[in-house]
Amino acid sequence: MVSTKRRRDDAEEDGTPRKLRARIVDDDATATDSDAFEAQTPSRRARNQYLTDFGTPKSILKKTGTINGAIGTTPRSTRKLLFETSTNYVNGDTPNGTPTLIRNADRSARKKSNRRILERTLNGEESDDEVLDEEETLTEQILEEEGGAVETVEEIPQPEVPVPETPSKRGRGRPKGSGKKKPKSPTPPTELPPHEEYFWQNRPGGLKTSNNTLSAQYLLNHDEYFQATSSYQDRHEPEMEFLLELHSRAFDQWIFELEEGFNVCLYGYGSKRAITRKFATHLYQHLSGAPPYKGSKKTPKIAVINGYAAGTTLKELLTTIASIAVPPTTKLPNQPAVLLDFVLEYLSSSPPPHPIPVILNSIDSPYLRKSSTPSMLARLAAHPSINLICTADTLNFPLLWDVGLKTQYKFLFHDATTFAPYDAEIDVVETVNELLGRSGRRVGGRDGVGFVLRSLPENARSLYRILAMEQLALDIMDQGLDDDDEATEMPKKKKVAQAKAVAPESNQGVEYRVLYHKAVQEFVCSSEVGFRTLLKEFHDHQMIESRKDAMGTERLLVPFRQEELEGLAEDLASDAF
Amino acid sequence: MEHERCYVYQPPETEERAPKRQRVDKSLFQPQLKERLQIYRDLWAEQEQRIQTTLEEADSATQEQIVDFVSASGSSLDEPKFAIPTGLVVAGPSIASHGPYFERLGRKIRSDTESAYILLSSGECPNLKTLLKNLIKKATSRIEDEDDDDLEQSSRPSRHGPKLLNYDLRHIQDWRKKNRVSSVVVTIQDSEAFDAGLLIDLIDLLHSWLDRIPFVLLFGIATSADSFEDRLAGQSLRNLEGERFDVTQSDDIVEKLFSATVASLDNRLFIGPQLCRRMLDRQKDYVQNVQDFCDGLKYAYMSHFYASVPSIFLNHKLRFEDLQADAIEAVRNLPSFRRHIENLHEQDSFSRQLVRELLEADQVVFKELQYSTTSAQEELSVLNHAAQVLFSIREALQMTPRVKASIIWIRAASADLLDSPLLRETMLTLKKTPSDKFAKLLSTLSNLSDKKDMMYDKGSKQGRDSMDVSGIKKEFDSILKQQDASTPLRTEHDVRSDSVRATVVAQKVLLSKHKAALSKQDQAYSDLVTRLHNQLESFFKIALIDLQILPYSEVFTYDLKSPHLEVFQPKPRFSVERAMASPHDYLNCDCCSAVDGKESALGARQPATAIVYQMYLESGALVNVTDLWSAFKAIAGDEDDGDESKTMALFQRALAELRYLGLLRPTKKKTDHVAKVMWKGL
Repeated sequence: MVSTKRRRDDAEEDGTPRKLRARIVDDDATATDSDAFEAQTPSRRARNQYLTDFGTPKSILKKTGTINGAIGTTPRSTRKLLFETSTNYVNGDTPNGTPTLIRNADRSARKKSNRRILERTLNGEESDDEVLDEEETLTEQILEEEGGAVETVEEIPQPEVPVPETPSKRGRGRPKGSGKKKPKSPTPPTELPPHEEYFWQNRPGGLKTSNNTLSAQYLLNHDEYFQATSSYQDRHEPEMEFLLELHSRAFDQWIFELEEGFNVCLYGYGSKRAITRKFATHLYQHLSGAPPYKGSKKTPKIAVINGYAAGTTLKELLTTIASIAVPPTTKLPNQPAVLLDFVLEYLSSSPPPHPIPVILNSIDSPYLRKSSTPSMLARLAAHPSINLICTADTLNFPLLWDVGLKTQYKFLFHDATTFAPYDAEIDVVETVNELLGRSGRRVGGRDGVGFVLRSLPENARSLYRILAMEQLALDIMDQGLDDDDEATEMPKKKKVAQAKAVAPESNQGVEYRVLYHKAVQEFVCSSEVGFRTLLKEFHDHQMIESRKDAMGTERLLVPFRQEELEGLAEDLASDAF
Repeated sequence: MEHERCYVYQPPETEERAPKRQRVDKSLFQPQLKERLQIYRDLWAEQEQRIQTTLEEADSATQEQIVDFVSASGSSLDEPKFAIPTGLVVAGPSIASHGPYFERLGRKIRSDTESAYILLSSGECPNLKTLLKNLIKKATSRIEDEDDDDLEQSSRPSRHGPKLLNYDLRHIQDWRKKNRVSSVVVTIQDSEAFDAGLLIDLIDLLHSWLDRIPFVLLFGIATSADSFEDRLAGQSLRNLEGERFDVTQSDDIVEKLFSATVASLDNRLFIGPQLCRRMLDRQKDYVQNVQDFCDGLKYAYMSHFYASVPSIFLNHKLRFEDLQADAIEAVRNLPSFRRHIENLHEQDSFSRQLVRELLEADQVVFKELQYSTTSAQEELSVLNHAAQVLFSIREALQMTPRVKASIIWIRAASADLLDSPLLRETMLTLKKTPSDKFAKLLSTLSNLSDKKDMMYDKGSKQGRDSMDVSGIKKEFDSILKQQDASTPLRTEHDVRSDSVRATVVAQKVLLSKHKAALSKQDQAYSDLVTRLHNQLESFFKIALIDLQILPYSEVFTYDLKSPHLEVFQPKPRFSVERAMASPHDYLNCDCCSAVDGKESALGARQPATAIVYQMYLESGALVNVTDLWSAFKAIAGDEDDGDESKTMALFQRALAELRYLGLLRPTKKKTDHVAKVMWKGL
């Protein structure tokens, strides 16, 4: 706008003399303040100023606007290129007669933040983008401040600034970076109390983490992992031995506690299998030395249950106990609840010579957490003829039990920190894969996909190939763009990189329509119904995922990373399946 | 074995010699454990007996009422009923004690009335159908010969029409025909946990069957009967005929238990005030559970006899020959023994002689220990008695604020009562007591003095005498007989002026006037009260001793909070976090401690999980695994070793362990990121 005005002025200057004369007449009519003005600064800029003053109704606001616009011409042009928002800003503030006061108010920090909150709640899931946006604005603000500094430097050498009382240096409206938002310091505060730290780390916008990704070849698979660990020697072996020895000194105490009708629960960092195993041995010897077994051929029986083992159920636990308590000829009920009643009743009616010791490793394992299990376990543990020795690994395991259950369990807790690795409890490789979302629970990686595809008809295989190829092509195209950008100037690249970081969530994969047309073209299917049928098979095996992008169009994608996808596409292309 | 789910332990065949050696070790390590545990069992059996009696007493009143209610509703069998007889059992907020309570109730109902008792809890009844199935299953399996009944039932459908569904209440009707039960008591243990709609349905259904099966409903209520009624619709309420039963609340029971066990008059082991306060606070703050209190007490007894060798001296019949030398040696190491020796040493030469003997001759220590244990037990018993007396006086005088007996006891035991405002205030009130309240006070006091003599100082050099409460009572009665007026007698201290006189002189004048206004009986009464007051004051002075200063107090008191606290209130999270944040605390190794003089700094030699955990603590809500890995590699990796796989294996294991402990979870927000779940200390 400013430039057009100036152009017009220019045109007027070298335009017809009649017009010029007219202007002079005008000048004379209002010569009171502008005469001196003109005399002072005979430069073109001042004349512009003077002209615009009379072109528009008089107001200080307008005046400053024009000044600003006039001044802004030089430095702002570079910034326009850099930041979209800031250009908007300048454009919005041009002195073309709009009620800028209102507009400024609109842009007040509060409204802005309100709007942002509103958007965030509306969008919900897309808080990730939001996070990035926020980061963007933060960097923008920092850069802005620098830009502002440059601006002032450029302005200073201009002596002809006509109206010094206006705060012209700040530009229009709210000065950048000086809003209600406090300047964010890049380093996080230290020494916060835990709850403050929680809120600090979970504040909207969040912390910035890098976009680095872990290349798949770093992570070990099962074979490599076992190879690596088998040769590994822990430095703390002797100390761990000592800890174990320390705990085993308490065995007699635990036996005493069990005899007095309490149950024992061990907690602390490190696998406690070694302790329970040793304790079982100790208890076995202790019991063998006591009356019912001493001198006879009978041996004491101790039930050991590994709660961490996948698929451990209460029924198995009860059956094991029943096999000890109940003579083998009795028929056991099938339902766990009935079985529990049966066992308890049997124990009450014909109590064994000593309480049956039950050693339960990892009572807090996910398999024993299901709703009814803890209460049934508690009923079992409450029986005087059962001695429960259990271990718990997670941090908050006491939350599993309410007051009633706790009373039934009658636990005495002992800290049994061992620092021993959880070798049997955790499948390390699988857990890490799941943690990183790498084909953990999917069909089982590339081989799994191959397995499924082999059992599907030719058309399905072709469709999957098309999808994989298309997705790969899109990925590569994105990357190609990225590479091109590297050649161009820095700021642009940054922007693209940011945009790319957002992309993975929404813009991944192939558009449903596109894929359908491709499939029809290649005679994979003839109708949409057929297409859907093929897709359903993939969905069932979790071989594809469908997402909606920002525009609401459906996108299909193969849930693999690029490296894996490449391998997969190779296999598909070479008809390996 | 470790990957098997369940198995029965089999000892490895090779270990043959290990057990023998271990047994020798044990006897060396724990001298005379057996004997000590025997004392423990004797003592605890006494306490358990008291606990049982107290619990039964507490329950019996309401249980009796409920049983009467059930049998009354069962007796009017043939009359048509329009509403289900319903007992609202307000059992209080301590849900932990509800289960045992209703079980006891069930036993009593079954034995005392001819009723079937069916206990239903919310967990097993998510909907009406399951509820009915459970109801029928529980009702019909009550009878003997379950199998025969099953056979008969399965064969019946062919004979009598269609097979019944397993939630048809006809089952109960049929069953009742065979088993003469007067009524079927259906008990809803936790009525609050049931869906209101389900309860309404149940009530409607049972009501519709009421003409064929005489149901009685019992609702366990943790809140209040009003809020229970609010949840039901008017129609259902009309179908119920309610009666309310208030169960003794668990804090009252705990209070009673406390007086019966810890503050009992013939305890040989004295549980210290610190531990008791802790136990009671835990009751108040967290659990509200009678069982838990008993367990805590039991564990205190267990710990004392298991861990402390001198506890063997609590055996009355112990002879010197039975002792091992270790026991005396252990006694000589007690802090109170040392204090005792030091005290003696500062006294005259005779005491110094005693010191020498105590240090050298075991026999002397044994004798003195036995003597002082017995006397201390007596003194402690007096202390308990005094606490009881004080509580009873306050109760009889209806003083406010009501202070619980346990609190008075704890203050007495921590030697904090003698000069306390509580005692002073009580004694002042006693002085002013009018005769109507005094009668009540005297009767409680005479009860208490029957239990145990109340000793007091008779004044200068006259020695001690036991309080003759019944004598005072007689005197009081005779004074009372002379009194004709209906107004109660007053003491001279009981100044009842209508207006407050401002000046001291005025008050004095008033007092003397008041004295003059006292009648002859009043005067006699006033003297009596003053006598009692003085005797009581002296009694408290003698009884309220500081048990800490008693020699050998470790033998007959137990006041350690250490194992008790950890065993009942564990801090698993703290322990795990500590293990990982400063592994040195547990491992006590040279390598992990104080790197560069800085505590808990990251060191390459720390366990991998500890390193990752400490980096985890520093990171934000989202953690980039790649960056974590490079940081880990920088700390724990071998520079000279080109092979990264070992470091990676450690890293992966550490990540997996953190996930297993519940510190990490996967996130989809960014690729290769994990989300933090726990903030240390939060």
